[in-house]
Amino acid sequence: MDILVYGTINSVTLSLLSLGFTLVYSISRLPNFAHGALYITTGYFIYLFLNGLGLSYPLSIIFGIALTSLIGAMMYRLILIRIRGMEISEIIATYAIGLAMIEGLRWGGLRGTTFTLPSFASGSRDILGVSVDDQRLLVVVVGFAVFALLYFFVRLTRNGLALRGIAQDERAAMMLGIDSDRMAVVSFAMGSSLAGLSAALILPLGNIVVEAGYNVLVFSIAVSVIGGLGSWSGAIIASFIIGFAQILTEKFLSSHFQMVIALLAIIITLLIKPSGILGRQKELEERV
Amino acid sequence: MLEAKELMVFYENMLALNNVSITAETGSVIGIFGSNSAGKSTLMYTLSGIMLDIKKKEAMRGGERITLFGSLTFEGRDISNLPPHARAKAGIVLCPERRRIFPESSVLENLKIGSYLTSVRERKNNLEYVLCVFPRLHEFLSRQGGFLSGGEQQMLAIGRALMANPKVLLLDEPLLGLSPVYQKIVIKAIKEIRKTRGIAIIISEQYSRPVIPIIDRGYIIENGSSVLEGTKEELMDNPDVKSAYFGIE
Repeated sequence: MDILVYGTINSVTLSLLSLGFTLVYSISRLPNFAHGALYITTGYFIYLFLNGLGLSYPLSIIFGIALTSLIGAMMYRLILIRIRGMEISEIIATYAIGLAMIEGLRWGGLRGTTFTLPSFASGSRDILGVSVDDQRLLVVVVGFAVFALLYFFVRLTRNGLALRGIAQDERAAMMLGIDSDRMAVVSFAMGSSLAGLSAALILPLGNIVVEAGYNVLVFSIAVSVIGGLGSWSGAIIASFIIGFAQILTEKFLSSHFQMVIALLAIIITLLIKPSGILGRQKELEERV
Repeated sequence: MLEAKELMVFYENMLALNNVSITAETGSVIGIFGSNSAGKSTLMYTLSGIMLDIKKKEAMRGGERITLFGSLTFEGRDISNLPPHARAKAGIVLCPERRRIFPESSVLENLKIGSYLTSVRERKNNLEYVLCVFPRLHEFLSRQGGFLSGGEQQMLAIGRALMANPKVLLLDEPLLGLSPVYQKIVIKAIKEIRKTRGIAIIISEQYSRPVIPIIDRGYIIENGSSVLEGTKEELMDNPDVKSAYFGIE
């Protein structure tokens, strides 16, 4: 039973971590390799606002996420807009920005285990006979709420529909008056704030360490590759596969295998079905 | 209203469009005829601004060098440097070749994406209007765009363009690959749109026989140049045109 409960928690955590990456890729076809850096930077921002400026916790979180989404938007506006369409350059640029942010934080003093965020909820309760602390439950609840919100956003609102249009056929969307660059900025801002939101929820469970930035990036890539690049439902399915696989190995082998599982899953996917579970290869007509 | 003067487009050194001038007045239907690779789509892309986007992307990628010459004015305003989304906002909307429906969105969502620029009330009116022009769309409003047949997709593509409230509607090969039944539906719809909306419509087609009766003026394009232009009657009476384009001996 504890496998089921903790597997679900772990899976929702993973999908929340990778949601921003998937969102940006599905809309703008840009692989945001700075995703992990944005995640950990938000954590540090919140820490600074809370302890350095003495703001209240909710306010720190809001400012932290807002600042991160601004960084994401500026990243596109100032740098990525110039190299869009060149896949290798996009990866190099976003990864370089990410590296600079993560290593900049390390250089700036984010080292050791002294940086922590307080949890929102400290109690714990029994779920199906398994004791779960409230912070983890909150992650699951907010995770599902975010999925639901996004689902309705892209189906019912004008901007959400426009984002879906751009994601499916950029040129056709342009012909209808949708500005591709503006939508890319919106998608980067949204993806970054999702990275920030997951940081605000998940970081209180442990310490703010810069290595988490790299881990989050690897998990996001694993989830996206396995689910099929740019496929939202694929990403959620992949999160559950990796999430449960991690919990199972943790129970029966050892907890060191978490990262191994994610990387192994990438390799297996690339060998068996390179396009991922729900990813589609482009139509022949579009490819040639 | 829309006036293109001496348009020239080069792909590297290849001349794709040579000195083409076109005018479209409010309420008129213009036909652009020519065979494959005559330059019809290049012309449509140039009018709608998509060519600027292609040019930008090619330049960024270090690919083909695309050069554009000529002037484009719309309602007295120079639009030759306006990107495609801004031209759509100004009122020039292209319904592209091969339809380019959003395959994963439902028919209704496709139409809603089309109304990105309009207010909620306009969207409602336009939706009613589109369903009036293409009553058959009613049957599959909730079906995914990718599952429609070619003819159904064409109705949706024209409907989607209408949702954007165009002042100039560009239809690039609207009859491509359609059965005679759907060709009739599309032709009837174009007549209806012209009557009820009074907008300018520019149609490019290689299969000109069904289109020629509904146009006011037509241009015949060969190898990128406009070789002949005139009213419907002038085109129909021209002996060369008769044999080459309309299959009338």
